[in-house]
Amino acid sequence: MRPLFARYPFFEAAREAVRSADVDLGTLVNSADPAVDRAHERVKRALLEGTAASETPEEWTETQELLSYPIARILVSLVDSSAAVDKYAQAEAKTAIERLEADLAAGDDDLRSTDTDRLDRDRLLDELDLSAAVTPDRSHEGAGRQRGEVDTTRARESDQFWIDLGPYLKLTSAEWRPSWKLVNREVWDGRVRVQRTELNRLLREAIAQRVAEGLPFDGLSREDPIATALSDELSDIERLLSQRTTVEEIDFVARELFPPCIENLLQKAEAGTQLEPFESFSLMAFLTGIGMDPDEIVAFCADASLDPEGIRYQTEYLADDRGTQYPPPTCETLAAYGLCHNEDDHWTVAGDPLTYYKRQLDERGDSVTDWREANA
Amino acid sequence: MDDRTRRYLRGRFGDYYRRADVPLPPAANLREWGHIPWTAGSGTTMVRHQSQMDLGSLDDFLERTAPRHAYFSAARYRDPGASTMSDKGWTGADLVFDLDADHLPGVDPDAATYAEMLASCKEALFRLLSFLEEDFGFSEMEVVFSGGRGYHVHVRDPSVRSLDSAARGEIVDYVRGHGLDVDDVITTVSQAGTNQRVLKNDGGWGRRIHRALLELTADLQAADKSAAIDRLQSFDGIGSGRAETIYGAVTRNRAAIKAGNMEAGGPGIRLLVRTLAESVVDEQNAPIDEPVTTDVRRLIRLPGTLHGGSGLVVTSIDRDDLDAFEPLSDAIPNRFVGQEITIETAESRTVELNGDKTKIPQGVSTVPEYLGVFLMTRGEATKAPEPT
Repeated sequence: MRPLFARYPFFEAAREAVRSADVDLGTLVNSADPAVDRAHERVKRALLEGTAASETPEEWTETQELLSYPIARILVSLVDSSAAVDKYAQAEAKTAIERLEADLAAGDDDLRSTDTDRLDRDRLLDELDLSAAVTPDRSHEGAGRQRGEVDTTRARESDQFWIDLGPYLKLTSAEWRPSWKLVNREVWDGRVRVQRTELNRLLREAIAQRVAEGLPFDGLSREDPIATALSDELSDIERLLSQRTTVEEIDFVARELFPPCIENLLQKAEAGTQLEPFESFSLMAFLTGIGMDPDEIVAFCADASLDPEGIRYQTEYLADDRGTQYPPPTCETLAAYGLCHNEDDHWTVAGDPLTYYKRQLDERGDSVTDWREANA
Repeated sequence: MDDRTRRYLRGRFGDYYRRADVPLPPAANLREWGHIPWTAGSGTTMVRHQSQMDLGSLDDFLERTAPRHAYFSAARYRDPGASTMSDKGWTGADLVFDLDADHLPGVDPDAATYAEMLASCKEALFRLLSFLEEDFGFSEMEVVFSGGRGYHVHVRDPSVRSLDSAARGEIVDYVRGHGLDVDDVITTVSQAGTNQRVLKNDGGWGRRIHRALLELTADLQAADKSAAIDRLQSFDGIGSGRAETIYGAVTRNRAAIKAGNMEAGGPGIRLLVRTLAESVVDEQNAPIDEPVTTDVRRLIRLPGTLHGGSGLVVTSIDRDDLDAFEPLSDAIPNRFVGQEITIETAESRTVELNGDKTKIPQGVSTVPEYLGVFLMTRGEATKAPEPT
């Protein structure tokens, strides 16, 4: 096994190495192999600290490090939340890019060494099926060199690259800073120019997409033997997560199940009354929290006194960092502003609008249609 | 529309399709098909969610049904005939652009003639194609006269097919110049130890703005000094001091401007670029209809069919022929040329079609068939009985 695989376990060749090593993950898990502990740490650190690297790297062998990756994927699948998968994938990607940067820096200092097992950019691009899509741009370096001309004998990396339009658009997101917007980029002949650090950001996204592929595993249930063997690790992770977030991700819009405070705010806005800033924050935080994007909220509130620009500004701010939205205020805070009146004594079952709505969905969700389906 | 007119048009559309050879789009079996029939009443009901299997042979179907309007999906599906979108199994979609004379800035649909609107639309089409061909480097494109008020471009390069709606939105913003921020188009580069601001000019809007800047500086150099200073002072925020500095920079250090250097000429040059950027966007953007491009499940008119609101052919145009293309002559179906029919109009009007301006008096008149069909499909005339 190559040391490289332990550090970049999402590589196809690394996965192949696991397959051909003839290790059975079930057996590993049942025998409480150290790789399971490392997998546990891997997921925990990914979800809570945003890194897949170990806190104590010297404790693990390369094999344990490599095998922890497929076990971590099982654990993340069992957590069963798309936000967790997303966050886990982002953390794996961030760690991989940090390692790539270290490898590249070491490579620059140590050109002649042949016995190292480092990643270079070409190898990573190849792994991510981006070889043909990314070209170094040396037109601004030195004299006489033409744009797009590649000098493979040169070890030091180019500062700028051209990446094909399609991959650029698939790897960036409209939520990123305006400098990423296509309209603000140099685009020519189907390619977009990026700085080296920007390319790394794009590669990080490509790795995250690669890691997230196939997660959560189809057909894996908590009753499966491998899942029961991992139940301690799983409940530990879930306990830690529950201290962070109170409500599982919701992605369903059914106005008839909205809590009374939110329904009141909507009616008030629809009657043409301008909402107070706190009221509109509560409403937008709720609508964002149940999985609506700005466009949907604008459409949903089309009959209300809210102006679309304001909605977009507020909701983009609320959702600016994926997965860490600002939740709407609790029932108690809402009561202090006169928006919650503990209707039907609901404080006994839910202390905030999202939890209230989640309970309603759990009870009556089968009998209602997602507003987005109905208006598609 | 009265019964006689509708029956006539349906019959003649059928005659057109009996002779027409409507080419299938690529991957026709993976697309959804739709049409609007010649039904009575004002309502229009689209029949959609049909697969090629449901239609049978396209030529037979068109001949048999003689639809008022015919459409196919930009998208490809695993099961295009499924009745809900989620069951269809979307696998990708052509990237489609729609330029509609109704939405062109500076064109008043009430004042401009149909021919004038289409001419403005064609100018916008060339602007759009400059983005698609030069900036995006697309090669598999079909340019189509919609038969109505504008043009469509279907892009079928494999690299765009899988783009989602948000990614297509980025392309829309790009060609419209929406969200362009000059601060992001000017970058800071480190050269010989000093930081220098540079207008990014190897592509994108930066290249277009840079080109406008070079044109302006060439004009300034050609003019005498006082005229050049006056010209510079006509820009927002540029007073006599800044105008002098910019003038000095562009006349003495043209190479720096050519390289995109945004330090030569002081802060004034950056103010100038900011103002230029606005006019460059105004003049060069392509005012495409945004939802058509971002909707990855939309149905688009099928090239080769007739537009039921004009009787003109939805015409696919070779890129090399685009310059010479005259929609109001070249899209007239041959089937409707060479014979005359009798129509009735409630008011007199002048129609520009097939290179002629024809004055149609109020009441009953006999006109070339394509002209009669044009007016009847637009609801501006009805079919009158032919004299015996």
